[in-house]
Amino acid sequence: MQDHTTEQELKERLGIIETMIAEGRRNTESWGGTFVLWGVVYYLALAWSAWGHSVWAWPATMLIAVIVTVVVASLKAGNHPGTTLGRAIGSIWIALGISMFVLFLALGLSGRLTDQHLFVAVISAILGLANGASALILRWKVQLACAVVWWVAAAATCFGSDAQSMIVFLVAIFLCQIVFGIYGVIAEAQVRKRRDPIHA
Amino acid sequence: MPDLPELNPVVHGRLRLALLSLLSGVEEAEFTWLRAKTEATDGNLGAQLLKLEEAGYVAVKKKFVLRKPQTLYRITETGRQALTEYVQALKQLLGPAVDV
Repeated sequence: MQDHTTEQELKERLGIIETMIAEGRRNTESWGGTFVLWGVVYYLALAWSAWGHSVWAWPATMLIAVIVTVVVASLKAGNHPGTTLGRAIGSIWIALGISMFVLFLALGLSGRLTDQHLFVAVISAILGLANGASALILRWKVQLACAVVWWVAAAATCFGSDAQSMIVFLVAIFLCQIVFGIYGVIAEAQVRKRRDPIHA
Repeated sequence: MPDLPELNPVVHGRLRLALLSLLSGVEEAEFTWLRAKTEATDGNLGAQLLKLEEAGYVAVKKKFVLRKPQTLYRITETGRQALTEYVQALKQLLGPAVDV
């Protein structure tokens, strides 16, 4: 058979294998929009709590974002087959969501959510953990860079004034949610564009 | 000079190779997902999946979800083995510089 098969053809077959395996495993890039959504939601919650002085700012915005994310996730699940990798990454983010919700709801209701530095440090550290774990599973350097930004933010917010702490948080949200999310959306669009139909 | 390996003709077809590669990364996949990923036509995709099924490389499961028929495909152990052997043969033919 290989008598009639050129090296170019063999390389092309190798390309098909690589592309298709990557297609089957592609996960986080499809979630670029969700990262942007959560970035916007963080900004809304911060603005509402700062200017509205409402205790419901965080619970209300988080709950709406969770509902939207669950709806999007269920729609995606219908189109995408399950993979061990996908389940591992999904579990990390679900556990993160539950941890943050339970912790901050309890802290808010008990009236102990008074230290802004601690609030930003805990959120940043948890987001660093989830991004770091996802990045290590996917071997994705861009997401690992996001994890590093969150970890740096978690440490940096412990020092300086309230205003400086808030600036650190806003910058981290912008880089790791908005910029990273848009990067994910663009990366997915490029992969879709590059792909050619495969014929027998 | 060592003998060059034979490439499995069932795996070698472009669409069949794409399908096996796709299925190797997921637990099971719907016909519609495979069609979207390969951008193949229904007829062509069905024919190639049938060949893979006849070779014992994929297993088919049909079920109804909300009264709609759904056809799910998964790679079998034989299929996974055939794909692995195909990749090894490709590597041997293309030389040691290739890394998959």
